[in-house]
Amino acid sequence: MPPAKDPEATRKLLASLWERSLPVLRERCALLERAATAAQAGTLTPELRAEATAIAHKLSGSLGMFGYPEGTDLARRIEEHLEAPTPTDAPRLTHDVTALLATLPL
Amino acid sequence: MPTRRILIIDDEDDIREVAALSLESVAGWQVSTASSGAEGMRLAAAELPDAILMDVMMPAMDGPTTFREMQKLPELASIPVILLTAKVQGVDQRRFAGLGVTAVLFKPFDPLTLAEQMSEALGWS
Repeated sequence: MPPAKDPEATRKLLASLWERSLPVLRERCALLERAATAAQAGTLTPELRAEATAIAHKLSGSLGMFGYPEGTDLARRIEEHLEAPTPTDAPRLTHDVTALLATLPL
Repeated sequence: MPTRRILIIDDEDDIREVAALSLESVAGWQVSTASSGAEGMRLAAAELPDAILMDVMMPAMDGPTTFREMQKLPELASIPVILLTAKVQGVDQRRFAGLGVTAVLFKPFDPLTLAEQMSEALGWS
């Protein structure tokens, strides 16, 4: 492998990619919020659950590479709450979605 | 050392872009990208890359299905494939490793060390 180029330049490019991905990220977080609200109200549809699960999975795979490993952990937990819901998962889902939003500089 | 040519197949724009940036800027490799398994197969056949980095979960044709389809084509069967997955459970890891791919790497990856991880997996170190 050729020697690594300037890591600082790579980090700057990553930061610009992060900025570019923010609109999509905001939409995804809004969808997770809607899913958590619906779960608390007992009105979470299978379609919204499936969509939110897929979004949480995507976030779990991407946030860490932008330097937000805690966001990845929270997204992974959100995915678990949505995949195999139990009666106690609705408040946990709300808690973790709120924590995720607080973690990210949106 | 010749420049390595890598094909990245992932339906997520940000993953594709960060992986491409990582491999190009850190390792100096040449990178092509595809956003689906079908597009990836077409590009792989046209470019015959040195290795393929491919997402597991994609709509229509997922990574494992795309890999199996590639194995049916003599011109693609020998290209090493590394799967990229956000699934961290052991059962998933064993299932992916059992497909016969060269390696399974996990998301989120570190953009500064992805090329190094791939080099080790591919025996290019």
